[in-house]
Amino acid sequence: MENKNSNSVEFKNISKFFPGVIALNDVSFRAESGRVYAIMGENGAGKSTLLKIMNGDYTMTHGEMLLNDTPVKFQSPKEAIDAGISVIYQERQIVEHLSVAENVFLGSWKRRHGFIDYDEMNRKAQEVIDKLNLPFSPEIKVGELSIAHQQMVEIMKAYVRDAKFIAFDEPTASLTDTEIDTLFAIIERMKCEGKVIFYVSHRLAEIDMIADVIVVLKDGALVGVVEQCDTTHDELIRMMVGRDLGDIFGKLPRNDNIGDIALEVESLSGPTVYDVSFTVRKGEILGFSGLVGSGRTEVMRLIMGEDPILDGRIKVDGQEVKIRAPKDAIQNGIVMLPEDRKKQGLFSNQSVSVNLSVSILSKLLNKAGLLSPKKESQVVNDLIDQFDIRTPSADKIVGELSGGNQQKTIFARCHATDPEIIILDEPTKGIDVGAKAEFYHIIVEYARMGKAVILISSEMPELIGLADRIIVMREGRIAGVVQREEASEEALLKLAMLGIGGNTV
Amino acid sequence: MKRFKLRLGRQGFVEKVGLIVALLLIILVFSLLNENYFSWQNLQNILTAASMTGLVAIGEALLIIGGLIDLSPGSIAALSSVLAGLFISWGVPPLLVIPCVIICGLLIGFLNALGINKLKLEPFIVTLSAMSIARGLGYILCGGKPVFINNTEFSSIGSKRILGSFTLPVIMLILAMIVFSVVLSRTKFGRSIYVLGGNPYAARLAGLNPERIKVYLFMISAGLAALGGGLLASRMQSSQPSSAVGLEFEGITAAVLGGVAMSGGIGNIAGVALGVLIIQCFNTGLIMNGVQTFWQDIARGILLILALGFDYYRRKKQSERQLKRSISEMTQQET
Repeated sequence: MENKNSNSVEFKNISKFFPGVIALNDVSFRAESGRVYAIMGENGAGKSTLLKIMNGDYTMTHGEMLLNDTPVKFQSPKEAIDAGISVIYQERQIVEHLSVAENVFLGSWKRRHGFIDYDEMNRKAQEVIDKLNLPFSPEIKVGELSIAHQQMVEIMKAYVRDAKFIAFDEPTASLTDTEIDTLFAIIERMKCEGKVIFYVSHRLAEIDMIADVIVVLKDGALVGVVEQCDTTHDELIRMMVGRDLGDIFGKLPRNDNIGDIALEVESLSGPTVYDVSFTVRKGEILGFSGLVGSGRTEVMRLIMGEDPILDGRIKVDGQEVKIRAPKDAIQNGIVMLPEDRKKQGLFSNQSVSVNLSVSILSKLLNKAGLLSPKKESQVVNDLIDQFDIRTPSADKIVGELSGGNQQKTIFARCHATDPEIIILDEPTKGIDVGAKAEFYHIIVEYARMGKAVILISSEMPELIGLADRIIVMREGRIAGVVQREEASEEALLKLAMLGIGGNTV
Repeated sequence: MKRFKLRLGRQGFVEKVGLIVALLLIILVFSLLNENYFSWQNLQNILTAASMTGLVAIGEALLIIGGLIDLSPGSIAALSSVLAGLFISWGVPPLLVIPCVIICGLLIGFLNALGINKLKLEPFIVTLSAMSIARGLGYILCGGKPVFINNTEFSSIGSKRILGSFTLPVIMLILAMIVFSVVLSRTKFGRSIYVLGGNPYAARLAGLNPERIKVYLFMISAGLAALGGGLLASRMQSSQPSSAVGLEFEGITAAVLGGVAMSGGIGNIAGVALGVLIIQCFNTGLIMNGVQTFWQDIARGILLILALGFDYYRRKKQSERQLKRSISEMTQQET
């Protein structure tokens, strides 16, 4: 019988090759129980690959993984689960119309006489709920829970399986601060129970709070394993990107030349938006803040013609425009980078080229009215160079690129339509520090070119650092406007949560 | 300058090797079994027999690439053969009968799209209804039984041999293949189909008009089926209300066999042509060797499963080879 309170994971010279890509290259480190190992690195650094090797999604090309000093080689996720590994992913793997208990025991439902034993399942689930101090019943449908609580259901799964090695993949991406506190309390608890914990995140502030050891990957290779107390943010960023970012926002060349009104929205109302009015000027970056569900994205959906406008007007360059579908918006020089790039932006099974040219096909026709491969290749390769999209060729399937490069592809597509007004909905969500800095430069450059930029973001430092004005939304209405000089996280939060402070439009 | 090659539908020549080999094998086996199989005359027969399936397969391929499906082409073809007889009896000039029939088909396709766009119903449901309605309408219009079309000018359309003894149905099929191959690969509309099938939501946000694309797609599918039905009436010299049952599934089978992915966004017309040829060469071969028609259905099902299974296996091997090659390239770079 192994000691319940002492576990370890050791990676020995792990490599994983894909066609044309070394995803992991000779990575070795050892993780002991009772400590939280933060795994950091840019997109494409190899973090996800490492997690996928751990949970049996991928088999490693070379190397060895040892659990409690016993070598293991998983052929399937099931084998990894049986060995005590549990990876909690960003995208929650839950079935919304099943209850908490049913989800928790998914795949191993308790049975008696051939029928599902709901009493037993609910009782067992309740035990875990009590242990973790969670405020919901095992019988409630998971779809009715908040996103944070849905994630807790994932964690409960790890508990009932008695997982000893638990990895979190960007767990806080859609959580509020209090929810993050609850999560961290649970992680602390797991730590004390002797579990080995891996924590993948881009958020440095969280790493400070929760990590004991930081493992930094870059381009598939291990850069270093450092104690959290021995390092600084600057040092970590340097390790991750191989260069010193310093104060990202301070160094951006800001645009002081703000021109005429480009877009004017007058008392716009839609299904979940009420009486929203604002203007954006040429060369201005207008921030949109507010909690998830406050109506930020919904306002933009109205402007893009994705949802029906119930009342109000939209003016571009002082002229009222009728927008019934996104193509009308694009014709009027408005374009949007959507929040959920997989679902709303990307044509995953098509080539980079098809993804880039889709909005400007009319400009790629030859005299006979057919698409000209020559024109297309020119435009597409220019965009690839301009946005530094890292792809072996234009005909590579876009779904095979890294997340940051997929996002760049969609951005480049928006750019190709030559917009006057660009709406960016969480443009840096889930991308790494280096790529973020690149995006900030692109955003500021857009403003300098005299374009009107609308920036929606949940990352307040990003809004404060980039926007000239920030509109804060709350329950479908504008709660207030904060000028650049007055912008602070506190001011934004007060408006978003309580509706106090700020100015009217 | 970066290497640039369009990979529309992810299908190059190499990906089709498996299909070509299968086709050659079928031809070889049946040629050995029956000396009349490998002949110019039989090629004509095969192509003529393939023309209806082929026309429908083009429509289905476009729709499936666009993430849609149409269950009504078989019924539309049957209805069209009935309408052709009706038009002749009304004194419509024989040469105008088929164009008129196509217009009726386009109308049905338009109605299909209308139901899908306006009522927000699944294509499967709407075209299932259309399949039922068109079939019923066909029976009603001709009193439930085949009706002889007594007009030599009309019946000569489908059987007349032009251009090196090819029949008109065959020429129409080849033309349609060429036209829609260009449409798919070289027009804005064609590109929109791939994009729509790849991600309909993103297609709309990227500025395309999915509703309009759907209207065109269902009109094309129904129009091609109507053309097939009109030609059938001419060839058979009769209205055939009970013909072409399951034709849409033959079309879908050919498209899928030719590499069109049911998940949307992948496939091309060259593949469909191969799919159609394989099925018809196989069918004709079975008929010539006296196999009962019931066995043909079973054989076609097995053929589809075998072809796709083989294709999956081949692609798996290929990606493994690719992986090995790139590993050796990478290790060479390191040393």
